[in-house]
Amino acid sequence: MNCIKNNEFTVEEFIAESLEHINKVDEKLHAFLRINDLAIKKAKEIDAKIKSNQNVGRCYGMPISVKDNICMEGSKTTCASKVLENFIAPYTSTVISKLHSEDAIIIGKTNLDEFAMGLSTEFSAYGPSRNPWNNDCVPGGSSGGSGVSVAANECIASLGSDTGGSIRNPASFCSVVGLKPTYGLVSRYGLVSYANSIEQIGPMTKTVEDSAFLLNMISGIDPNDNTTIDNKNQDYLNNIDAGINGKKIGIVTEMTNSDGLSADVLDATNDSIKTFEKLGANCEQVSLQMVPYTVAAYYTITSTEAGSNLARYDNVRYGYELDSSGFEFNSYISQARSKLGPEVIRRMILGGFVPSAGHAGKYFLKALKVKSKLINEINYVFKKFDFLISPTVPIQPFKFGEKINDPVSFMMVDFNTVTANLTGIPAISVPYKITNGLPIGIQIMSNHLEEHSLLQAAYALEKTVDLPEVPA
Amino acid sequence: MDNLVNEEEISEVAKLMKIDLKDHSDHIKRVQKMLEYFDILDSANVESEEITIQEIDLDKLRNDEHIPYNKNLLKFLKSYKEKYVKAPKLN
Amino acid sequence: MTKIGLEIHCQLTNLESKLFCPCKADYRKFEPNTNICPICMGIPGSLPLLNKSAVEKATLIAMALDCRTPDKIAFFRKNYFYPDLPKNFQITQLNVYGNTSIGWEGKISVGDKEIRIRRIQLEEDPGRLIYEGATEKTKLTLVDYNRAGTPLVEIVTEPDFETPHQVREFLNILSDLLENLNVSDPGLEGAMRADANVSIEGGSKVEIKNIGSFHDLEKAVHFEITRQQSLAERKIEIIQETRHWDEGRKITVSARTKEEEAEYRYHLEADIPWVRINDDTKNQLQTHMPESISSKKKRYVSKYSITPQVADILSSDRYFSELFENAKNETNAKDVANMITTDVMGLLDTREKRNVSKLNAEHLSDLIASMKLNKITRSSAKLALDEIIKNGKPLQQIIGELDLGHVSDEEELTNIITQVLSEEIKAVEEAKQNPEIVNFLVGKVMQKTHGKADPELTLTLLKKNLAID
Repeated sequence: MNCIKNNEFTVEEFIAESLEHINKVDEKLHAFLRINDLAIKKAKEIDAKIKSNQNVGRCYGMPISVKDNICMEGSKTTCASKVLENFIAPYTSTVISKLHSEDAIIIGKTNLDEFAMGLSTEFSAYGPSRNPWNNDCVPGGSSGGSGVSVAANECIASLGSDTGGSIRNPASFCSVVGLKPTYGLVSRYGLVSYANSIEQIGPMTKTVEDSAFLLNMISGIDPNDNTTIDNKNQDYLNNIDAGINGKKIGIVTEMTNSDGLSADVLDATNDSIKTFEKLGANCEQVSLQMVPYTVAAYYTITSTEAGSNLARYDNVRYGYELDSSGFEFNSYISQARSKLGPEVIRRMILGGFVPSAGHAGKYFLKALKVKSKLINEINYVFKKFDFLISPTVPIQPFKFGEKINDPVSFMMVDFNTVTANLTGIPAISVPYKITNGLPIGIQIMSNHLEEHSLLQAAYALEKTVDLPEVPA
Repeated sequence: MDNLVNEEEISEVAKLMKIDLKDHSDHIKRVQKMLEYFDILDSANVESEEITIQEIDLDKLRNDEHIPYNKNLLKFLKSYKEKYVKAPKLN
Repeated sequence: MTKIGLEIHCQLTNLESKLFCPCKADYRKFEPNTNICPICMGIPGSLPLLNKSAVEKATLIAMALDCRTPDKIAFFRKNYFYPDLPKNFQITQLNVYGNTSIGWEGKISVGDKEIRIRRIQLEEDPGRLIYEGATEKTKLTLVDYNRAGTPLVEIVTEPDFETPHQVREFLNILSDLLENLNVSDPGLEGAMRADANVSIEGGSKVEIKNIGSFHDLEKAVHFEITRQQSLAERKIEIIQETRHWDEGRKITVSARTKEEEAEYRYHLEADIPWVRINDDTKNQLQTHMPESISSKKKRYVSKYSITPQVADILSSDRYFSELFENAKNETNAKDVANMITTDVMGLLDTREKRNVSKLNAEHLSDLIASMKLNKITRSSAKLALDEIIKNGKPLQQIIGELDLGHVSDEEELTNIITQVLSEEIKAVEEAKQNPEIVNFLVGKVMQKTHGKADPELTLTLLKKNLAID
């Protein structure tokens, strides 16, 4: 941005170069589902504004990519599903409106696991994205495309969504910063719902500072979303370099125990603890007893909500081409929904089962109670600690096809991240190490609406590491 | 240990969710495995917990105002004779 | 003992907007699919925005029905697939985490019977299905979503009714109550719908759905009781089931042959936080609640000496009771009431007529005053009313224009009487034998004076003239 301001190059030049770069690398990486063909036009408009000394928004034409489950008027929003192949959004989400009003340029829509259900982007109906650090490995998910687009320098920042780790997981796997804000901090108006009681839109960026910058623009109460809360116009950039001297950090025992982590991740974690201590923080083990139940609770709650949120995709009002003549109602819908991908189908079945009359007590209601008890635990723990830490993902990026066949081992990849979603607290993944060419991120969590200090901690950690550039 | 949830029940649920399971018997197996994993909830000891809720004051709600949607929404949807939405036949 | 319970759905037609979006609540004047938006159409990424006034009006209803009301209300999703449901779930209310619907445990009197209200809930109406096509084969199911999202209040009673007549009475009382509260216009097509459940002594409960009107409801309940009784007499088991009212054949028919319990997978609507309704709000609502019909009736009878029958009719109609309240003063209340119930109601018997009527309270009070001062006769007053309704001109002007002045001048009247007597010789003869015939002569005088003659004075003078008492 400073470069634009200092006239080192124009917005148009930058955008053109970005598009060129995307052209070069995206065939392999497949971060994008769609490029915005109005990007250059928009860039020219912003250049004209700059030239004529008009007020320019804070983004100065910055190219930002957006996950394809966030609506932008006039543009396709497929959620990486065949079922929404032809769906063109008739309105724009609040977050994109806010970015537009700050003169950001949405350069394209990024790939994801279908309907945000997954953690490797392998479940996209349009083909997976590839990890720029190792093309045979997954980039993480569900916001895989977003992670890749930032890591591979195809754009400056991206907006992803996080329901169980979908921003932080790809951030860790792609070695970028990924923030899941407090539930309610960022408007969900325009985010295609998967599990609406816990999901949030959040930034994925190269640096912590950039995430704070974006958060300033997209956060705040929205009359179009009654679940948003007032953050009283916090400035997340203010004092971001304050450091963490004297802060108390809790190392979540259940998320850092050696059984669950790969050796390299365990190493990196222990290293980060030393780093935190060098920065002046006091680190101590802390136990969250509900954590071992969180994956089961998470999948139970999210399948229930997903089962309901995705019921509208019956191809009657919008979707894709399929003539209903000759079909009877139930068979048409079943036929239409047969285009849903395998993971989505499984969640639909689970979502029909766990809240049903005969089984709700055992599954759904129990899961809600686990959620409650976990929230109480978290509230208690944050009386003593300022932050909680863990490795973002227990393992490093795995190869395509490696996890996809074992459902339980697959679910466990989320083990460290779902707690923040279930409790609503903010959590950030900071790139920490590259081991054997594969990234490892450290997760920091703080109490509700404490993003300001969370970003300070993330910034402090980030400044201690000097990571290599992503391979060309 | 509980038996795996039976296939018939899962097929019934699939019908309820309008999911056609004709060629997807491996879905059933995977779903069974996932449900088996969920049994862990039984040992969570949460019987007495209340659920947590989010609250809002009545005066923060939307005012009762008619604001016509100024775009022709029907154009974005599948329409019949540009007036209705066509649904498949009902029994 | 026969037990009947009701489930009534009432649209809050007096609201400006739908329950969760700013589209218009009253969808009736729109072209198909033009009263829609991303929210009520369930477009991906849209979120429901609860209507504040809907909560207030629904709470008013709960209070008027003597219900208990919660401190917080919550919304739930009822999940099922149907083409009239844009999201394939309906946002409604439930009481699984304590009492979280708009109201519960209320009551209302129907005659001398007390009917208990089990609960009241707020929910959204689905869209409308329309069928096009000549034969079964070509029939297309078309959907108009204008109605989708319209605010509904569902009122569920305990099975306290014993007869179809009670049911009918209750529905009338409820309609009047809702209209009086200014929350709904029950006269609008489709604004109030009801389902019933019926069981006779020792029998299972049968639900009856698809009843088009209140008139049909009474019939349907009556039919169902008879059907069940006849089964019982023949010692045949009454199956617990849902039946549909067949309007054409005027019978109930079995709707579900399988014992399928619908599975709705109810869960909280996470996009709508629990709404806090504090005591201040409730007190405010209570204070500003329109006076109840029964209270009005009592007041009319005791304060203005209006007869109970007239008071009954007047109090239960919001439009006319308002007219009455505005037109009455210390001295003319009874007369205003009578004029409204006798003449005005007849002239303004439909909603359309009321909508275009130019009659206001001042007109009425002027009319009564003029009649008292003998400036205008009763029958002239009727003519004047008709004219006022059409053009709203002040009474004096109308009297002038239509020459409705009162003829009460004795001399003038005597002249006319003499005239009539000379013309109606036969009647004069008969009148001497049969005093009833005098009325005929009075009528003739009225004719000649275009209704302006003072009837009492005319009668007196005629009798004098004819030398009869």
